[in-house]
Amino acid sequence: KMEDRAVHLLCLTASSGVPLYCRSRGTSQKQLPFPVIGSLNGVHMFGSNQDVLLTTTCTENARVAWRVFHSSITLIVLTSDDCASDLYLGRLLENVFNAMVLVVGLDDLINIKNVERLKRDLRASYQLIDSFLEVSEMVGDLVQCVDCVLSNNNGVLQSCLDAFTQAAESQFGCLLVRGKVVVATEKWWRLSAQEVMLLAWLVASLAPCSSRDYPIYLPQGSPTVPHRFLSFQLLPGVDVCVLCGPTPSLQEVQKLVERFWKPLLEPLKDCLRIQARAFPGCISLHQGIMGLLLINREQKKSLYTVQPHAGEARPDYFPESTLSAEERQSVLRSFYTLAVSRYFVSEDVSTQEEFQAGFSHRGKECYVVSSDHKCYGIQHEQHQLFLLFKPEVPTFALRNITTKTLSVIKERCST
Amino acid sequence: MFHVGRYSIPRPVTKNLDDLDSVQSVLLHSDLEPEWLDDIQKNGELFYLELSEGEEEALLQASSAHISAGNHVRFSDKEAEVIPDNRLKERKCEPRLKRFAHILKKKNLSRKPSKRNSPCNANDAGSQPSGPTSILKHQPSQKTGVIVQQRYKDVYVYVNPKKLTHSGVGEGTNLLEALIGILHQSSWNGKRAGKDGGQDTASKGTCEERLLVHGLLPGSSASKCGQIMIGDVLVAVNDVDVSLENIERVLSCIPGPMQVTMSEAHSQLCIKKQTQHSSKQTLTPVSNLVRLLWGEDNLELQLGLSSSPHIVLYLTLKLDSESSKEEQEILYHYPVSESSQKLKAVRGIFLTLCDMLENVTGGQVIRYWLLLLSFKHTHVSKWKEKISVKLRFFSVPFKRVPLPQLRNMMADVVQILKVMYNSLDSAFYQVENVSRLDHFFNLFFQRAIQPARLSSSSSPSSQQYDSFSAAFLDNLPGVRWLTLPQDIKVEIDTAMSDLEAADFADLSEDYYGMRRLYMILGSSLFYKGYLIGNHLPKDDLLDIALYCQHYCLLTLAAEQKIGQLVIWREVFPRRHFQLGKDPGVEGYREPEARYFLLIVGLRHFLLCVLLEAGGCTSKAIGNPGPDCIYVDQVKATLLQLEGVDSSIEERLAAPPSPCLSCADWFLPSSRDKLESFTSSPIFSKMHGSTKSAVVSPTSRKVLFGDTSLRTRRPSPPRSSGGSDTGSEGHGEGGYLNTGLSPHSTPDSIRRHGWRESQGSGGSEGSGGSGSMFKSNKKKHNLPNLFHLGNTKKNLSDKESEELYNATKLTSGSESTLFHYISLDTVQGIFISPTHREVAQLSGSIHPQLIKNFHRCCLSIRSIFQQAPREKGKKDQDVLRTSRSGRSGLGLGFVKEHGVLFECSPENWTDQKKPPPTMTYWTVGRLFLDPYPQEFYVCFHESVTEMAVELAFRLSFGLST
Repeated sequence: KMEDRAVHLLCLTASSGVPLYCRSRGTSQKQLPFPVIGSLNGVHMFGSNQDVLLTTTCTENARVAWRVFHSSITLIVLTSDDCASDLYLGRLLENVFNAMVLVVGLDDLINIKNVERLKRDLRASYQLIDSFLEVSEMVGDLVQCVDCVLSNNNGVLQSCLDAFTQAAESQFGCLLVRGKVVVATEKWWRLSAQEVMLLAWLVASLAPCSSRDYPIYLPQGSPTVPHRFLSFQLLPGVDVCVLCGPTPSLQEVQKLVERFWKPLLEPLKDCLRIQARAFPGCISLHQGIMGLLLINREQKKSLYTVQPHAGEARPDYFPESTLSAEERQSVLRSFYTLAVSRYFVSEDVSTQEEFQAGFSHRGKECYVVSSDHKCYGIQHEQHQLFLLFKPEVPTFALRNITTKTLSVIKERCST
Repeated sequence: MFHVGRYSIPRPVTKNLDDLDSVQSVLLHSDLEPEWLDDIQKNGELFYLELSEGEEEALLQASSAHISAGNHVRFSDKEAEVIPDNRLKERKCEPRLKRFAHILKKKNLSRKPSKRNSPCNANDAGSQPSGPTSILKHQPSQKTGVIVQQRYKDVYVYVNPKKLTHSGVGEGTNLLEALIGILHQSSWNGKRAGKDGGQDTASKGTCEERLLVHGLLPGSSASKCGQIMIGDVLVAVNDVDVSLENIERVLSCIPGPMQVTMSEAHSQLCIKKQTQHSSKQTLTPVSNLVRLLWGEDNLELQLGLSSSPHIVLYLTLKLDSESSKEEQEILYHYPVSESSQKLKAVRGIFLTLCDMLENVTGGQVIRYWLLLLSFKHTHVSKWKEKISVKLRFFSVPFKRVPLPQLRNMMADVVQILKVMYNSLDSAFYQVENVSRLDHFFNLFFQRAIQPARLSSSSSPSSQQYDSFSAAFLDNLPGVRWLTLPQDIKVEIDTAMSDLEAADFADLSEDYYGMRRLYMILGSSLFYKGYLIGNHLPKDDLLDIALYCQHYCLLTLAAEQKIGQLVIWREVFPRRHFQLGKDPGVEGYREPEARYFLLIVGLRHFLLCVLLEAGGCTSKAIGNPGPDCIYVDQVKATLLQLEGVDSSIEERLAAPPSPCLSCADWFLPSSRDKLESFTSSPIFSKMHGSTKSAVVSPTSRKVLFGDTSLRTRRPSPPRSSGGSDTGSEGHGEGGYLNTGLSPHSTPDSIRRHGWRESQGSGGSEGSGGSGSMFKSNKKKHNLPNLFHLGNTKKNLSDKESEELYNATKLTSGSESTLFHYISLDTVQGIFISPTHREVAQLSGSIHPQLIKNFHRCCLSIRSIFQQAPREKGKKDQDVLRTSRSGRSGLGLGFVKEHGVLFECSPENWTDQKKPPPTMTYWTVGRLFLDPYPQEFYVCFHESVTEMAVELAFRLSFGLST
């Protein structure tokens, strides 16, 4: 029997139905029995033989989603998580497949010659895939934009990173704090949003080590030709990474790390301090805000926190929230899913949900008042902002606070 | 208690049994047997629907006009043949013809076999609708010269013998004249016989027997139909050959209001006229619904459905492994069409998944399944019964039916099937139910997939309203309620109580010396689809409303006058059968009994009565049919209430009590709409007729103020006082109206200044509103003499905005409210603007807004429904100390949800400027205190939050 919030991910070859791997979340970690895997795949194959594409199904307590990639890999996810939405499951499967491409390359996935070898190769992607299944502090997997940290010292860090990347004979460089991007070179931002997100998650998912040389394929940019992905730990939790060709060697770049980053120890430590909050203390948010998700739709960046007042003096006029950090994350993710899948129109028509298409007018803002929280979401040309409030904040104030918060952060970001 | 005017059952004043007997006999025998008696099915069920005279006449007129298009009369040299019309007639008249024939048989008036009938029968059997046709038929221009002298035509005439009894025509009169309106004089006949005799050899009768039409009574059915001409000869009625001798007898056998086919031989003079008739419109959509209810096949409707694959299957999981018969797991499926075959073929997916997932996820019972098959955008959902191993699933096109709605539809279908058949098993296992279920699901899919085609209201706007709102309202656990003035309500309640008391002679146990058959548990009364009286517990009301809704009875009653509707069937209300025995009520248990639903409809009224048999009354044995006495009593109650309908109509026509406004008024672009609004009588009804010169200008000013704000022009200074603002506003009136003067486009403003806008101001309005418009006359650079002082202090935008806000607060949220729905789940009712109120607010944007609103409500409600179920039962306190009460992570227990939408006018042509936008909120709120209520509103963005809060509070006053 499945327990609450368990997730099972199955990967099979589409043609023969041979299981490649099976990952699970949940305390028991028990694998699904083989007949179940077989019939989950079987119904999908049966359907496609009948010209029917089976995409999702849900029961009162479980959801299943199927997806075939490049008619060679079938991914199936089975979950009993209440808040798993179709939007989330769809993006999860996409992330997982991209993670597989990142590690083994698209060629090996499309033309499967040796199943056993592929199985072995795919083991390297388990950590990244598992990180998608686990409950994360980041939101990039859902919003498909990389999580960022807004630091006070962005200018210094940016120029240092630019110089460091150049010295490493590359144009792609990035500074990460616990999987969140602090600064990145201009070229780095030219990578697709998914790739930027994947690389950040990759660093966060791998075991910490001082330096690493990792061959990767970029799912969009270069799915068949591998690049070298070098990452160096500057502080525990702070990594700098560079994407480069055959040269220079890891040792050469290692030497540069000392030279460039040693002087910036304090700014880096500061980044570490604010990473949970995602923005510096000089921006003070309304006391009633429990969580924030800001998405820059053009630059594909997101700012996400459920501890907006970390390190601040305890507010007087609102009682301490009853929601734990994990619950706040879950609420904010659910609210984002609700708004995006139902009301907010995205330019990308392909991702548009059917329900949305039924509306004759565009949704601009929405809110939810619940017993233990309130949420407000707003969509502008460039930004989306979702705020999680304490239930004590009066409903009529939500809109005002949200628009003000948006303008404050926008101002700060532009400077 | 009984009103004097009570129909048909005068209470016996004397105890004289003879007197009583005579009353009884009048009651039982005067009216002969009720019309519906023959329609009772073996299991006692009855569904008898008869349109009212006016409606039916219109309906038949339309169809007969179509029929007379020339297809049905065939010319022949030797013998005249009447080719019976195509399938239209077939479907339309068959049941009636049958019944007529049946009655004729009873009276030993068998049909005479005649040559005329044989081609008719042959054609009946053939599936080809058109049959043998003449060459002439296909030629659009018929030359009268070619035509042979003799021809027959079928004329459909609406006949109502009841009229005779009502109008008090005695027995002795000529039925031909009284019923149909054909004058025939034997003496004339004799004279003309000699002249005509030679021509009419083809007609079977001799000259003396022929029924020549000598004249038509003005206003009669014959003259109304316009096809019976003087000089025609009546040959047959409903294919029964008639002559002078038997005509009266044949006509006297017409049992009730119905359509009669008159076959006539007639002279060539009429031919031209007849072809002109053919251009008449074909069947109106009115008949779609009615025909569907009558259970007739409708190709047109079926075709509409076939493009979108849909299916309902009832499957079993308990398979006999020994018998390897194909498709044995399918207990029922509908429809049998090509498109559904594919869906049927993939049922294995569901069976496998269902079996497996239950094992894997375990523990909880799987209640429903939703499967998305992207192949044809088809949604499949299954419903699995709790204990049994059967499951059934539905599939409907995704685009038409969004997911949240589908879930509710599923639940409703299961519920209504349970009400009708006690359990799904008993519904699907019995072979004799198959055709009934086919009919049921045919209706269901029609409603789900093309609701608009069933509705046929005269005004397109209310039809739109219907189809937009149906997706949401149909699945609400409530019935549309119409608030009525107290005195009318009392009258209705009294009449209903009288009925429920069952205190009349026929039902008294003393009188017959036996236990009464049924006890009346309660009744509910609908008028035009609105519930106006209810004496039933909520669950029973909902069950009955579901039934009415499913059979479109509410739509039917709203749109057409029902001549007579009698429905009788055994039901299994959830209160008695599904909800567990409530241990809360000590010492009393609902008796083991059987329940029957009796629905009687008359005109726009629908009275649903729930009867109990077996409690304190005698036990029902077998499948009892409807009892005449009960039907008559219910009908009598309806007749007694007839006088009320004028006051209800008055209520319906009254200006909406929470004042509504139209979205188009907020957009400067919709000038023409604005114009129509200012000049329309509706507006004057809504605002002007409230006869306050103060109210009218304020509401308009808010309206204009909004737009002026949008267009970023300084709005006029206003004080919150209201009455004196008009004069103050003059100074900048010119500014104000530049963007939104009803008569001028921006271009014409530049060219012509303000001249054009004078019109509306002058002609319309009284007092303040007029002055608003008068200000338009002044050119804005020529300051008004009266307001020199004001123009000096040109207010900055900000100031005026503040002032504007102040005005808005005082003018209240009313004028910015677009739509609302208030659902009271305890009483099982909801209130929303009436069709007429919505129809008044026509415009281009507003219908879209209404549609959007309902869709959004669907979404909002699905969020409310997602709230953890167990929470609903838990105490409020648990909710507040929610840590422990919080089950799962998601959004938790949502109490309020709102979405802000933005819209701009369609086909905006001005490329230089971006289209103006209007933003509005759709907010749903769930109240638990003092009792569960849901409230959905749609209002303009400019409403301040405080006003919204206020509106929610006031909403409590709505339902009382």
